Amino acid sequence: MSSTEIGYIKRDLPDKLKTLGVILLAAGAVLGLLGFLIDPQRAVFSYLAAFLFLVSIGIGSLFLVALEYAAGADWSTPFRRVSEFFSAVIPFLLLLIIPLLFNMHNLFSWTHKNIVDGSELLKGKTSYLNIPFFVARSIGVIFIWWIFYFFIIKNSRMQDTSKDQALTGKNIKISSGFMPVFALSITVIAFDWLMSLEPSWFSTIFGVYFFAGTIWCALAALTLTVVLLNENGFLHSKITTDHYYTLGVLMFAFTAFWGYIAFSQYLLTWYADIPDETIWFMHRWVGGWKVISILIVLTHFVVPFFYLLSYKSKTNAKKLKFIAVWIMCSHFLDIYWMVMPSMNLNGFQYSFSWMDIVYPVAAVGFVILLFKSLSKKYNLLPVGDPKLKRGLDFHL
Amino acid sequence: METKNLHSVAALFDTPEKIINAANKVKDAGYKKFDVNTPYPVHGMDKAMGLGQSKIGWITLFFGFSGAIFIFLFMGWTMAMNYPYVVGGKPFFSFPAFIPITFEVTVLSGSIATIVGMLAVFFNLPSLNDPIQDSDYLKQVSTDKFGILIQAANEKFDKEKVVEFLKSLGASTIEYIYEPEKEEFKILQPKFMVFLALVAILTSGGTYVTLNKLMYVIPFNWMDRQSKSNPQSETTFFHDGFAMRMPVKGTIAKGFMPYPYQGQAQPNEVLSNPTLPTKEILELGQRKFLTFCSPCHGNYADGNSRLRGQFPPGPTLHSDKIIGYSDGMIYNIITNGQNAMPSYAYQIPREQRWAIIDYIRVLQRAQNPKPSDFQAISQLKKESGKNVVN
Amino acid sequence: MNIDYTKELALVEGNPRLADIDELISRPLTQPVTKKYYIALSISGTALLIGVYSLWLTLYYGIGMWGNNVPVGWAFDITNFVFWIGIGHAGTLISAILFLLRQRWRTGIARFAEAMTIFAVMTAGIFPVIHTGRPWLAGYLIPYPNQHLLWPNFISPLLWDVFAVSTYFTVSLLFWYMGLIPDFAILRDRTVSKVKKTIYSVFSLGWRHSNRHWRHYEKVYMILAGLATPLVLSVHTIVSFDFAVSLIPGWHTTIFPPYFVAGAIYSGFAMVMTVLIFVRKIFDMENLITLNHLERMAKVMLLTSSMVAYSYLMEFFIAWYSQVPSEQYDFWARVVGPYRWAWYFMISCNFLIPQLIWFKKIRRSVPILFIISICANIGMWFERFVIIVQSLSRDFLPSSWHMFTPTLVDFGVLTGSFGLFFTLVLLFAKTLPVVSMVETKSVLEGSQPHHYNDDHNGEVGAGHANITAGVGAALNGGKNGN
Repeated sequence: MSSTEIGYIKRDLPDKLKTLGVILLAAGAVLGLLGFLIDPQRAVFSYLAAFLFLVSIGIGSLFLVALEYAAGADWSTPFRRVSEFFSAVIPFLLLLIIPLLFNMHNLFSWTHKNIVDGSELLKGKTSYLNIPFFVARSIGVIFIWWIFYFFIIKNSRMQDTSKDQALTGKNIKISSGFMPVFALSITVIAFDWLMSLEPSWFSTIFGVYFFAGTIWCALAALTLTVVLLNENGFLHSKITTDHYYTLGVLMFAFTAFWGYIAFSQYLLTWYADIPDETIWFMHRWVGGWKVISILIVLTHFVVPFFYLLSYKSKTNAKKLKFIAVWIMCSHFLDIYWMVMPSMNLNGFQYSFSWMDIVYPVAAVGFVILLFKSLSKKYNLLPVGDPKLKRGLDFHL
Repeated sequence: METKNLHSVAALFDTPEKIINAANKVKDAGYKKFDVNTPYPVHGMDKAMGLGQSKIGWITLFFGFSGAIFIFLFMGWTMAMNYPYVVGGKPFFSFPAFIPITFEVTVLSGSIATIVGMLAVFFNLPSLNDPIQDSDYLKQVSTDKFGILIQAANEKFDKEKVVEFLKSLGASTIEYIYEPEKEEFKILQPKFMVFLALVAILTSGGTYVTLNKLMYVIPFNWMDRQSKSNPQSETTFFHDGFAMRMPVKGTIAKGFMPYPYQGQAQPNEVLSNPTLPTKEILELGQRKFLTFCSPCHGNYADGNSRLRGQFPPGPTLHSDKIIGYSDGMIYNIITNGQNAMPSYAYQIPREQRWAIIDYIRVLQRAQNPKPSDFQAISQLKKESGKNVVN
Repeated sequence: MNIDYTKELALVEGNPRLADIDELISRPLTQPVTKKYYIALSISGTALLIGVYSLWLTLYYGIGMWGNNVPVGWAFDITNFVFWIGIGHAGTLISAILFLLRQRWRTGIARFAEAMTIFAVMTAGIFPVIHTGRPWLAGYLIPYPNQHLLWPNFISPLLWDVFAVSTYFTVSLLFWYMGLIPDFAILRDRTVSKVKKTIYSVFSLGWRHSNRHWRHYEKVYMILAGLATPLVLSVHTIVSFDFAVSLIPGWHTTIFPPYFVAGAIYSGFAMVMTVLIFVRKIFDMENLITLNHLERMAKVMLLTSSMVAYSYLMEFFIAWYSQVPSEQYDFWARVVGPYRWAWYFMISCNFLIPQLIWFKKIRRSVPILFIISICANIGMWFERFVIIVQSLSRDFLPSSWHMFTPTLVDFGVLTGSFGLFFTLVLLFAKTLPVVSMVETKSVLEGSQPHHYNDDHNGEVGAGHANITAGVGAALNGGKNGN
């Protein structure tokens, strides 16, 4: 099956994108560096939110790729490449994590010996919450992701030229193996980088909570890109509203899933009313955070849920683009809401800082640039994939 | 056969491709009243027949949200307004706790309304007397054929032309469907009446048996019979035959205080009233006096018994003799009884006895007021601006 | 590995014709009852009678006939309830979630799984009612303006359960019946017996396979699937709330909702697989319920088993991480305490044994799958036992610790629940089509028009429509277009 047979003609994305990416990244990076010089604590918290947003896009996209292989789905094959490009963020995470690892004292109260010594609770946790083990976990998890990323993507790209069906079989195996690894690793990331910001707090569902938001965000990124590319004719003419609809349904499903998980966590904490657990929500209910907490319920659940309920908004390109951007913004807000109130645990008053914007802008610029450069090198459609034809012919 | 009214002409096709094609052509030929019958939903048929998106989702939406709003307000009303009580330290209006039931009722009302709406309103089912019921045509499309049916009610319907047209589309069989003969159903059929009578008898009988018999049978009888002994009853379990047990010798009840003055006429030198005549004490005394003393001594302690001769009336408590009694003396009388009056020690706890005595003193004072009392009353009247009820 | 990924796996094997499907599926309904069937029915009937007798003893003498005692106030009763509700989850999962995910392989197993859902929920519904001791007073759970001027406590998860389970039962029943309507119509048009025809006519409501109906029907199926999907999650979520809102160590963890749902799907799939392995053999339906079906079900079991295992891990980790002594003790006691045998059952049946499914050979071996599915059911029963009994028996105060010992009546009621379930399953298998005829026909090779694909495709579609119109006009002039 050659690419002409499929009907895909590779075209380069406009160079405007590169310019945009460079501007955003450069501006973000310069200002971000400045931020670290002016107020390192605020900077590292804002940086952490942006970093976790990148983690969401990267690992969420790799999960979508693996899910397609493991579940044997065909409808998403035409845009698997888009997710693959996004998951290219993963290797860079090893680089991007460095500023965090060097500023751990500003982030985590459990790194301060005097605080740990003053609390029986924290003393008991030191065998998990200590700097060497923490760093090893973080680096290790990203490294494992990288390995899986490397093999899955390598096989997928090789197929473009070799058209070897055995590569699909190989990737199915790797992807199936990736699933349990992914579940555990994303939990580690959520526990380490989010839960341990308030080291006395704990919630068993927290890994699932972060997972739900992550996949939601990766789906939105995928949808936005697919719609943009397809509108401008970079993908394939056979990608129709039926594909859009399925993407919309998936976003809708994950909206509901996130709402379900978030509600479960909140209700059980609220109902049992144990001070150890409610403290986390209390920190997000005082000092101006109450508004943001309510806003999250609206932006992260209520609005997308009712918006995506209708058939039209799941098939209309314009509406899909809008909600995809909305979803990515609210996922960032969610991460922000989880990270920031831990900055100063004793009565933190919400205050906006320009740094909260700088790092995510740099992150977006970085992703655009990465996408642009990869799309130049590789096909935007996995032209050698045996499932591609089925995927293009997909109808409800 | 020709005497019957023709309802429609039906044609059978062998493959889904043919039926899609046929539906397209029939639509394009301008027939409005036609239908396609297929053993399963054929993809693309809605488009071929020129049917739009189903609007049934609106029913779900409307009834789902109506159910949600209703149950949410209902829960709020019952828990926070109609019968508020604290459960587990939660607020009366517990928003998070109302969400699960709100969700369930949304789904319940939404899905029931959708199914009932679809069957009854959209499909007009159940209906067993459609002309195609029992026809060979329906039997064929039930199994493996794909049928199209053009009604005679179409404007440009012409039997011969339609048959020709359908044949040209590749129909394998053509069948004429006729209107069924009109049947009349009388409501007053004997069978139906017997059925109604049976329903009436069964319902009333069932209700009677349930409420008057079944509810008195073990285990439904409200724990009427339990493996325990009732007070004052006999038992074979204990050798003395009494179900109730005596406490162990020397048992002292909680809060028991010995009363050593039984039989003494004047224990006033040791007993003194421990209570102060405050408002609360006097009100307590009044309540207890009205409960225990007033039946014989009268509501105002004037000996005006409420028993009207069924029992010897008690004496007035306003005699000089009783006014002269010390509190301890009256306490002794309440505790031990006197003449026809029995002991009230078991009915009235100690503090209440003293409260009653305080109240008796009030009643006595009211019968023999001092000038200073009148002054105090008029003072009170002035302050409150109202009539003070005595 | 010579899998051709360009094609989907065949959903129905043996390439039958449409009429064969009707014939094959409705055969058990017309054939005389065999001796084997009677033997099976008498076994399940005996179990049911044991249950009825045990229940009678319970009602006559009271809950004291069970082993429950403070602090273990919930034991077999609620364990059975959660177990059966869990079994019920597979049906809706298959019919709703897999439908939404466009997993067309569900057609072969959906009907049976839905029926099992209904029977399992019926069985489950008995337990919360009888564990109150006086089930005939259960009417007070319904919020109606009664003479006591009392409303049920809407803040209590136990009342949420009442709403969740009754909603679940109603919606599952409607969903199931809706799928049956066209099949009743097929049966009505096939049968020659007058009595049967009357019955089928009544239940088919006069269905005419009209496309003007199909289009709404399909939409409603979609809507109901959309409603049933969150519903099925909510039911076991609310069941988990019964435990998780409390403070009991081992009960109060925030992961309970998804954890319970995953476990429910796991046990439900196991039960469906257990029964279907028999059904496909006895009714010669190996072409409809193929090895591919079993393999895919096994994969779902592996997935859900892993999710359950993840939850076990999270519970243990957070119990340690939280540094709450009673939580730490409770989880430690699961491993080394007096109920450790139940925990070992649970871990091996729910986590270790399903790992075998990773191997393709095992996934495609029916006897081994059968054993795994039985193990899964045992394991899931013990999971609930561990959660309920073990946690209650070791609460905060060591002075109130107490072991639970089941009585004969406890076992009788448990046996009876299996008896009820399997009796209903057997009766169903003989009276109604166990596979949806309509849906099976619609996924047969060649059952959908080929040129349909072009129809939807933007410009091409418009062009096609024009051509069709043109041909239509030409045909009106008397030409044969085929």
